[in-house]
Amino acid sequence: MDKKNVFGCVILICLSILIAGCWDRRELQDRNFILAVGIDMADVHTPIETFTQPHGSKRYRLSLQILKLGAGGDGKEKSKTYVISNTGDSFFEMVRDMLGQTSKSLWFEHVQVIIISEAVLRQTGLGELLDFFKRDSEMRSRMHVYVTSGVAKSLLEYIPPNKEPGGIYLSNIVDLHVKNVHVAGKRTDLASLALYSDNNANLVVSRIEMVDKVVKLGGLAIFKKDKFIGYVDEDAVAGIKYMFGSEKSAIVTIPCPDHSDHQVIFELFRHDTRLRPHVDGDTIYFTLDINMYGNIGELQGDIALDNTMDPQYVNNLESAFADEIKRTVLYSQQIIQKKMRVDILNLFATKLKAYEPDTWAKVKDQWDEIYPDIPLIISVNVSIRNIGSHK
Amino acid sequence: MANLEAKTYISPLQLGIVVIGTCVGAQIMLSPRALIAAVEQAAWQSVIVGGVIFYVAACLMLKLGKQYPDQTLIEYAPALFGRLGGNVVIIWFNLLFFLQIIGIFSGVGKIITFYMFDRTPPEVVILALLVVCTYCALQDWGTILRVQQIMFFVAYTMLTMVWMTSILNFQPENMLPLWSIKTKTVISGGFSTWPMYSGYECLLLLLPLVHKKTSFAKLAQIMGGAFGCMTLFFLLIVIVIIGVLTVENAKNVPYPALIVIRSVELPGTFIERLENYLLVAWIPVVFTTLAAMIFYMGQVCMRHYRYVDHRPWVLALVPLIYLGSMLLLDDQQAYDTVSKYTLWIGVGFSFGVVPLSLMLSWWHRRKVGARCG
Repeated sequence: MDKKNVFGCVILICLSILIAGCWDRRELQDRNFILAVGIDMADVHTPIETFTQPHGSKRYRLSLQILKLGAGGDGKEKSKTYVISNTGDSFFEMVRDMLGQTSKSLWFEHVQVIIISEAVLRQTGLGELLDFFKRDSEMRSRMHVYVTSGVAKSLLEYIPPNKEPGGIYLSNIVDLHVKNVHVAGKRTDLASLALYSDNNANLVVSRIEMVDKVVKLGGLAIFKKDKFIGYVDEDAVAGIKYMFGSEKSAIVTIPCPDHSDHQVIFELFRHDTRLRPHVDGDTIYFTLDINMYGNIGELQGDIALDNTMDPQYVNNLESAFADEIKRTVLYSQQIIQKKMRVDILNLFATKLKAYEPDTWAKVKDQWDEIYPDIPLIISVNVSIRNIGSHK
Repeated sequence: MANLEAKTYISPLQLGIVVIGTCVGAQIMLSPRALIAAVEQAAWQSVIVGGVIFYVAACLMLKLGKQYPDQTLIEYAPALFGRLGGNVVIIWFNLLFFLQIIGIFSGVGKIITFYMFDRTPPEVVILALLVVCTYCALQDWGTILRVQQIMFFVAYTMLTMVWMTSILNFQPENMLPLWSIKTKTVISGGFSTWPMYSGYECLLLLLPLVHKKTSFAKLAQIMGGAFGCMTLFFLLIVIVIIGVLTVENAKNVPYPALIVIRSVELPGTFIERLENYLLVAWIPVVFTTLAAMIFYMGQVCMRHYRYVDHRPWVLALVPLIYLGSMLLLDDQQAYDTVSKYTLWIGVGFSFGVVPLSLMLSWWHRRKVGARCG
């Protein structure tokens, strides 16, 4: 081997030493995976938990739910997660200070859910609270955001009965919103909130509560822009979903048209929903056309008296279900449009801008004042395709 | 043994692929925000207008190149503009590539550091990419052509496939109102898409490699196909960004394409955080653009100073490119200013220098024809 080749080999070996490994490596066993984040008002804290803060005040308590990594143990261990918390003003500063409470770095790439307590939202806008999570490249865009009237930290300490890690359990609940018309989960994640916030829209966030170790998701927290103004119940959520056409399935219950003590239940399988703006001179109004297709899912009462094979009976049911859907939409319209006076997620404004841009250009500056008085004409048609596998 | 990499002939189709490879690169991440902020809902119309405008510019370059079938701009510019004028044109031409290269390097450095390697200083990311691109640019044209062709089929397919997953979050209503009545804004937006389409200027260097018998019509047809593909690709990027994020949201994020892909969740799969996959597919695309542009710069210097080899020039340009990228890296104001001037220099070259060169060449020919009787 001549000198040139030897020199080349030496250079190659040196280079391979230099380029081996990666500056950005983070070993799995050196990470603390955070699964859920809770934001509460700062309460009484032990001095050791927090830090000396030269500026601002101790406004918030930030709690992080961390996955326990390690040997499985003897199976008696109740929770797969533990919670640490800190108080302060800046979330980033609290997170970095919390490194004093852990032996491994905190890793936010797997955060599934952020829970914010109502008490915090009464003081601070949602945009301000979520800024850190929107800005940091480590965060997931699709992490779910919930509001609770109680304490967010308690929800992080909740141990799911199926032994799933808490954050994953809490996050998965909302993923079932497609089958649960009482939960609005489609546009309430971090990316959607950032999107609607940039569009100056009125935001909505799913509500989660824990009472006596029972956790339940249902209802919505409503925001005027990003300021919290109150909650709506599950029936209103159903109406809102019908307006958006965001439901994939729904259960509609009505008293039987022929026997008022009986209950008939409709299971929605498919729908075609169209919300359209109309402009007639200076008058703006909207039409909501809903066509629903589904089955009879359940009948409560003496089924011998209700002949679901009678076409006339089925026709009567279809009309009754259509009336019930209409009632639900009107109920939510009454609360959202008339009482709270918010166009949630700018649903109506977006339609007007999209289909009547000239009119939108004229009214966009006064939209908040105009919107509560804009008429909505609702038309619902229900088709029962099947009565189930029994009469 | 003959050097098989020193290629002296390319087909018109290969020319089309090289133009696409040079043009489509880093700007799919870097440009959309500014375009959407300027033109808003009509950004997609500006992309189409831009495609047409710069296709016309490319045709003018083809016409000019056809006047001098054996020469590149570097050889015939002094004949058209005189020694001083020719030098100005050649410097202008090379400055175009230089400004684009440093802009791309600093933009890519920022993106990769922020989204992939947050502990690696951007200076190191840029240096590593510069080394790889320089290595490619040091090769002969045959190798670069082969890299461009391979990347055309591999990297662009990967990039498009990853990008198309964002269709899952597409909301057609975000595109409405579809048509903008602000014609002036749409046309000025069309000109501002130059960074996306830029790179077609390489035609003035590569045309002598295309077979002399290839007619202008054939070349214009191939170039039409190339610009059609690029327009479709950029349309796909801009339409999906607006359809997923809305105009208002896209205006507020520095790199909307990454935010779009970051929001994608593939149900039932373990694949997540798709921005990393998109970046992995994007880096080879950026590499082909940068390697080609550095090669063109080396070629311009080689021909201008009458060297037989472009390699010393490529190596000499490396420190300059690195320094330029560093200057733009931490100074957003400088980056914006340089981007603005690059746009003017680019559009000015395509619609000022090239038409003027064409007119001068016709005038020269007429003069020579008149003398010959």
